[in-house]
Amino acid sequence: MSKRIIAENLALFYREAARFYGDLPAFATRKRALEWQPVSYSELYEQGMDLATGLIELGVNAREHIGLFGDNRYEWMLADYAVQFCGAADVPRGTDVTDSELVYIINHAGIRFAFVETVDLQRRVLELRDQLPSLKEIILLDPNGHAESGVRKLIDVLNLGSRLRIDGDRQAEIRMADIKPEDLFTLIYTSGTTGTPKGVMLTHSNIISQIKTLPGIHNCNDRVLSILPIWHVFERVIEMYTISFGGCTYYSSVKTLGEDLRNVEPTFMASAPRVWEKLHERIIKGVKSSHPVRQILFHIAYYLSKQFKASEYFITNRYLKLQHQPSWKHWFLLPLHLLRWVMVLPWYGFFNVAVLERIRLGAGGALKTTISGGGALPAEIDQFFNNVGIPVLEGYGMTETSPVISVRPSNNLVVGTVGPPLPETKIKIVDPISGDTLYPNEGLPYTGRGIKGEIWIKGPQVMKGYYKEPELSAQTIKDGWLKTGDLGMITHNNCLKILGRCKATIVLSNGENVEPEPIEMRLQQSQYIDHCMLVGQDKKFISALIVPVLSEFHQIGIPVNSGKELIVNPEVQKIIREEIRRMTSNGSVRYQQIKDFRLLPDGFQVGEELTNLHKLKRHVIQEKYNHVIEELFASDTIKGF
Amino acid sequence: MEFNTQLLYAHDQILLALMIFVIMLGMGASLTIDDFKAVARSPRGVFIGFLSQFGLMPLIAFSIATIFNFHPAFAISLILIGCLPGGTTSNMFTYFARGSVALSISMTIASTLLALIMMPILLGFYTSGFTAQINAEMQASGTGTFVIPTGNIVSSLVLVLIPVLLGMIIRRKWPDWAKTAEDTAGFVGIIVILYLVFTAFTRHGSLFMKTPVEVYIGALGLGLIGFFFGYWFSRAVGMYPLFQRAISLETGIQNGPVAFAVILLSFHEPVQSQMLWLAILYSTFIVITSSVITLVFRSRGQFDWDVYKNVTIHNRLFGKDYVTSYPQGFLTKRLINDPSQGTSPAQKRDVKE
Repeated sequence: MSKRIIAENLALFYREAARFYGDLPAFATRKRALEWQPVSYSELYEQGMDLATGLIELGVNAREHIGLFGDNRYEWMLADYAVQFCGAADVPRGTDVTDSELVYIINHAGIRFAFVETVDLQRRVLELRDQLPSLKEIILLDPNGHAESGVRKLIDVLNLGSRLRIDGDRQAEIRMADIKPEDLFTLIYTSGTTGTPKGVMLTHSNIISQIKTLPGIHNCNDRVLSILPIWHVFERVIEMYTISFGGCTYYSSVKTLGEDLRNVEPTFMASAPRVWEKLHERIIKGVKSSHPVRQILFHIAYYLSKQFKASEYFITNRYLKLQHQPSWKHWFLLPLHLLRWVMVLPWYGFFNVAVLERIRLGAGGALKTTISGGGALPAEIDQFFNNVGIPVLEGYGMTETSPVISVRPSNNLVVGTVGPPLPETKIKIVDPISGDTLYPNEGLPYTGRGIKGEIWIKGPQVMKGYYKEPELSAQTIKDGWLKTGDLGMITHNNCLKILGRCKATIVLSNGENVEPEPIEMRLQQSQYIDHCMLVGQDKKFISALIVPVLSEFHQIGIPVNSGKELIVNPEVQKIIREEIRRMTSNGSVRYQQIKDFRLLPDGFQVGEELTNLHKLKRHVIQEKYNHVIEELFASDTIKGF
Repeated sequence: MEFNTQLLYAHDQILLALMIFVIMLGMGASLTIDDFKAVARSPRGVFIGFLSQFGLMPLIAFSIATIFNFHPAFAISLILIGCLPGGTTSNMFTYFARGSVALSISMTIASTLLALIMMPILLGFYTSGFTAQINAEMQASGTGTFVIPTGNIVSSLVLVLIPVLLGMIIRRKWPDWAKTAEDTAGFVGIIVILYLVFTAFTRHGSLFMKTPVEVYIGALGLGLIGFFFGYWFSRAVGMYPLFQRAISLETGIQNGPVAFAVILLSFHEPVQSQMLWLAILYSTFIVITSSVITLVFRSRGQFDWDVYKNVTIHNRLFGKDYVTSYPQGFLTKRLINDPSQGTSPAQKRDVKE
């Protein structure tokens, strides 16, 4: 029993949802651990129409950009409903937005109307008002907050619209009918931490294609826990998907997650790798502090599960196939795996129900699946949860692709990959230097499977372009193909495996993007630093690899003769640490702070680590100093079993 | 068929006794005072379960024994198994079969206590014909007389309740140990049963060949027919699917260790080995059949379980007066028309035709 509603655009989609799911709860807000406030699909729709009518009355035009600054809450969704009903597009951002970003976004997107969630954000926007010539109206979302003069409360706009609708105002209906599939539903500014943020234009047809093609079997008995920031398109698309099958989204938070998992018993959730790392840590801690007999039982259970799953994956052809497997090898191994599967089955069955079920209860016990996105899931964590029996479906995507490109469906779960591309989505693997197509390429063995290159994608989810950046848009999207900047390959069972990045941008495990180049340039201004490269893809923080200038240290009287001596000298370490602090002290945001660094003994050479134009060849450095990088983040990774 | 040698050696018997102790201890460790109170809260379910366990099961056992013309010793053993109370194993299976675990636990408690009265009565009633048969044979060969040792059965039942009580004390005082005892119990049970089957195989290899086919049918069929009748009987009287699954499993799965204890403590040769053999066969088959039934229940019960869970959680989070109203055509006809609406915790939903 699974059904999804689909419509031409988001506004009609919202209306269909209300028509189908009527009195079922759509969103629930936590007040206390066991007290939540539900809002039904029809209530949400009615309120959305009222608010939209109020906004139209205040002068909101079709296709205009409306600021929506806030974190996950029901009023956010209500505002989004209203914006869609007006035929407008929202420009979302969380409350952690910086002042300079606010100014940039509001001016760049030409925002006249903006929703702000909190009193604090209201104050900040009011203080910046001089720099925001276009901004006309500010509307406060928080129903308990005090609105300053010149700021409207959400409820007032809603009541205004409500009165008009009672009198027969039907402007919202006219606006809804007028929405074209290629109109924007949102304009998302990516979290470019340095330089200027880029406005990603996503259309109604983008998001509708996602709702239609995401794999999953759900119905209106499903409960979805929401913890990722709603202004990230990944969380947003999951909430839209939840609406499509009539589920209820429960707004949780990182602080209350453990409790909410137990009380809400979600059946589905979108998550970031960080959530699973945390949960993994907690489970391992729980096991370690439990009774010794139970520890042994857990280890037996985990071991059996690992053996069982390995054979199951082999038999069902769902193991990580990076190289081609000759078929004789498969037929030779198959009976062995079948034998192991049968032998382990009864023991696995027993331990699965007696021991592993308790572990699963830690995640609410009802999770059918969960999608992890917004960064690579560490392999040990991935294997751990799949062995324990919580199927984590890892997905891959980016804001520019609204966002899902591929995801492992639960019936084709190949651990270590991000699954096959969504239906209607095409993937090409391209040599980043020559630009030749490596996959699909008839001229190569296995049409190019198993060869590493840059991932290009083409499909209905690809953005319209960057707002007011035609050149950048043209560079990123060529003939409908979007260059992702990620390196990957197609495995021999047609799944996508991500292998790193060829673009410089570092995406931390919390989903924040860091542009390393400006920071590296600043660091290299130091007389002691010859070259440096930031690392930290999929990690919690960024660190630096630094090539020090030998001669400078000579001059200040540090007796070192070679790079090798230099990098172990404590005095040098101290000076460099000071330099990093000095060079990055002004204006850096928290996650940009460089937590740690390692000195490299040899300088970067042109043709080796550097291009002819003295630009860093990041993947070369990454591979060459892999051991150093791993050591840097050794404390960051958590060992599996 | 006659046993030339004793089926179990002395050390096997000690092992078996140890297993009984560990399992009953584990059963006690999983129970709390609240579980006892819960019996009073769902009297209807417990009563239906009682009828199913002490009404249907002994009758099924008696019918199998009569229809297949069992050797009296096997017949008595099968009827004894049919009269047993439920064990904690059924609670675990019920959990995974998406049945009502609370009802399963309540039924286990009720049947274990009631067994003290019901077992002697039912056993005396259903086995009288077979007992007379053995008695006549023994008197003819001049080896003595045979009666059902009612007094012994009651005292051995009391005896197996001691570790249960101990387990409950452990649960109260050392909850961490209690959890361990619970986990270990099931595992020990499986290991010992497998060991007994294995040793029987190596020591008396011909035993498997010599065992009449109808004994296999009885050992396998008792549980399966119990599941079947438990399910349809509770459905016929209008129980909610969740309760049907719990009652079905509770009916079919008997407390094997109690059978071993009663046979070891109350019966003697020439019937003891034969009775034990059937009990071992039953205990082996029931693990397999209930696993299969559980998987069937689990997938077939997915939908009504989801509805039940969702409605329950809505009432937990949105207040007990919250009514979940599903769109038209979403709930199956059977769920809408379920006459047991009022007995289920999942009653708070709008029924739209």
